[in-house]
Amino acid sequence: MNAAADPALFAPDDAADPNEPDRTLAANAAPAGRWTHQHLLDVDVLTTDDLDLIMQTTATMAQVLTRPIPKVPALRGWGVTILFYEASTRTRVSFEVAAKNLSADVVNIAAASSSVSKGESLIDTIRTVEALGARMLVLRHATSGAPYLAAEHFSGSVLNGGDGWHAHPTQALLDLYTLRTRLPGGIVAGRKVVILGDVMHSRVARSNLWSLTAAGADVWLCGPATLLRGFDAWAAAGVAGSRRFTVTSDLPAALRDADVVMALRIQRERMASGLLPSLREYAARFGLTRERMALARPDALVMHPGPMNEGVEIAPDVATGRQSVITEQVANGVAVRMAVLYLLAGARDSAATRESAATRESAGARDSAGARDSAGARDSAGRAAAE
Amino acid sequence: MSTANGRGAGVAAPAPAAALAPAAALADLDISRAWLVDPASGREGPGEIVVTDGIIEAVTWLEGADSEGIDAGGVIVAPGFLDLHVHFREPGDEDAETVATGLAAAAHGGFTTVCVMPNTTPALDEPSVLARIHDAATASGSPVVLLALGAVSMGRTGEQLALLGELADAGVVGFSDDGAPVRSAALLRNALVYAGMLGLPIVDHPEDATLTEGSEANEGLVATVLGLRGWPGSAEATAVGRDIAILADVVRDAPAVRLHLTHLSTAASLALVRQAKRVGLPVTCDVTPHHLALTDAWVAGVRRWSWESIVSDGAAGDPWRDGSIVAPPFDPSLRVNPPLRAAEDAMACLAALVDGTADAIATDHAPHAAVDKAVEFGLAASGISGIETALGIVLAAVDAGRLTLSTAIAALTTGPARVLGARAARGSWPRGLVEGAPADLVVFDRSQRWTVNADALASKGKNSPLLGRSLPGRVILTVAGGRIAYEAPEA
Repeated sequence: MNAAADPALFAPDDAADPNEPDRTLAANAAPAGRWTHQHLLDVDVLTTDDLDLIMQTTATMAQVLTRPIPKVPALRGWGVTILFYEASTRTRVSFEVAAKNLSADVVNIAAASSSVSKGESLIDTIRTVEALGARMLVLRHATSGAPYLAAEHFSGSVLNGGDGWHAHPTQALLDLYTLRTRLPGGIVAGRKVVILGDVMHSRVARSNLWSLTAAGADVWLCGPATLLRGFDAWAAAGVAGSRRFTVTSDLPAALRDADVVMALRIQRERMASGLLPSLREYAARFGLTRERMALARPDALVMHPGPMNEGVEIAPDVATGRQSVITEQVANGVAVRMAVLYLLAGARDSAATRESAATRESAGARDSAGARDSAGARDSAGRAAAE
Repeated sequence: MSTANGRGAGVAAPAPAAALAPAAALADLDISRAWLVDPASGREGPGEIVVTDGIIEAVTWLEGADSEGIDAGGVIVAPGFLDLHVHFREPGDEDAETVATGLAAAAHGGFTTVCVMPNTTPALDEPSVLARIHDAATASGSPVVLLALGAVSMGRTGEQLALLGELADAGVVGFSDDGAPVRSAALLRNALVYAGMLGLPIVDHPEDATLTEGSEANEGLVATVLGLRGWPGSAEATAVGRDIAILADVVRDAPAVRLHLTHLSTAASLALVRQAKRVGLPVTCDVTPHHLALTDAWVAGVRRWSWESIVSDGAAGDPWRDGSIVAPPFDPSLRVNPPLRAAEDAMACLAALVDGTADAIATDHAPHAAVDKAVEFGLAASGISGIETALGIVLAAVDAGRLTLSTAIAALTTGPARVLGARAARGSWPRGLVEGAPADLVVFDRSQRWTVNADALASKGKNSPLLGRSLPGRVILTVAGGRIAYEAPEA
């Protein structure tokens, strides 16, 4: 039942002739038996089973990446469009490399401005992209919730590549994968993870809050009080109404005995909007320096979603130091995005799954792990094997 | 109709310009055994009503054996509703609504008098715009009475007073820069005094814009979790506080001033109004149906009425815990100004109607063309097309025991009439079931539900978050000024 462990699909591609027709997803019979989501819009709808499946699949993809030619044919013939309404290098290239490693046909669209100022609505753009053959759409957008609108008008799969302040699911997943590979025993539960900086404006912080609390981590959000607005109330309610986390502006308390410290990017606009007096003051009070890291456990990990302002939220020697796993995050990003693309393609491979998943997604079913394992998913496994 | 050659062929006969629709038929009714609600006389109970040639000929209150089997759960006859706050978008945005479609929507909702806001293009800041709107109302043939508010400032820019006196002479019933607050405290002060001299209220949309720049959803748990820019309740309360402080200041010298605060949405701002009324200031306010019954949790995908979200200690439950999320998040039809608030605020709006702090229910009917709503949540136009669903929402609150039927009907009839004062006395005054007066009433059936969908709405604006939902209280008949404004098709 473990899709990720299926060896056939991930046979080295170096023997593969690009013209050879039989190495399709279906022929490789790797049904994503437990994966039924049509889209990846946020981490909040993922069950712990979903997260486990993504982690296992990512591990397989990471193995693929160690090969001389890190390429498999899983998505051959699949059109993947990467549509970014916000400037990004890291995430966009990561998705592109991931899709190409899976042999997908990748189209990149960099929309410099918002859809409205461009004169074409997002819905029109989505329809156009679909008409041009895209079966998967990776969307980055400055407006929270934009991928939900896209998902309503796109018959394929939408991957949220970051929307406003809301969610950045693949970043959270790559962070989780990085922790699973780097923490002793791969155990995230019970570890103290500090997310430091501009939490209020951070989709990375929000998505990590869902996934890390789901994994049982002891999450601390720390930063200037003006950049934590609203999070005390969320902490009081708990993630999903029960999973507790801590919010504080007391940096030493947050860092003390931390297992992981994740610094967030601080942006200059925060000064213009009166949320911070100056970058210098931010660096002095909340910058992650070597001295401050000494409060954490000796082997604590340092993370950053990038791009970094070295010398502001993180000191250069911390960013590149022994404890830093920042470049590993980047490498893991490719593996995690390969895994997600692969799983979504598998779910899409069966019409039965597609329909039932669409119904569930639109109903916003959030806690129906049991239902997801029911008839539709079994059908899909059977169908994929039969094909 | 266009010809095969299409537009511009030069041969097609032009459509007759502004053809007047025929006047609506005079109502002849004999309604026996209904539940009559008459807030003007404070009376409610079983009765019969006879209307001949548009005039109420007889109102008979039934007692004893005659009244048996008649209860408040069936057919209701009430005075026609008055909506203090609608946007009919004409002139300037006829894609979203016209005066004719707006009036049809009003009649479908049971409203016989509406008060249009002046945020048209151009703004209603001088009499010719009002004349144009009145012409459109006449041309529509609808018997629904259209009242208008003039702008407070020229072009609603908050700099210079609009032509208040000329607008008053032309028949506006008050002044508002709705869509935005009266920008400066100094301008508001002058406008209150000048409008007071004219015997008219200033209707303010209370919002401190410095706190709401870029705001998307009520500041609170839902906005935090969804990463939407918070719209703090204090943005409303600070504006209400400013307005009341200025009112208290000017009322000493100009006793005729009146301030009406529209679409209040928070417990804090209603508490300020409650206090101001207690000390006798001439302030009134309204709340909208959507702020009574919908909450910010709807933006997360919850579809429960506000009162159903309240758990034991009077606070709302967490939708991510209690499994109440049933729809996708970020539905742009829920973007509205002021934003949908927490359930506690909705409860405060209901309580304000009950204790009289809120004088009226006004719909803030804000139709939009589909293209302005079929976009990202944060980019969607603000507003809900609400005049046709108002009664259903209010009756849902009545069904849930949150309002009495008489309070609800009063907030739709005598309450808003009092806000406008005598200047609104046009045809349908007083708003009551009075023998010898032109019939101005609505007949609806609480035992019949109807489903809100795009086809069922007469408004051009289909931007309702209630699409697909069934509401209680189908309107059977709306009679305005003795004429039939709306009649339901045979069920």
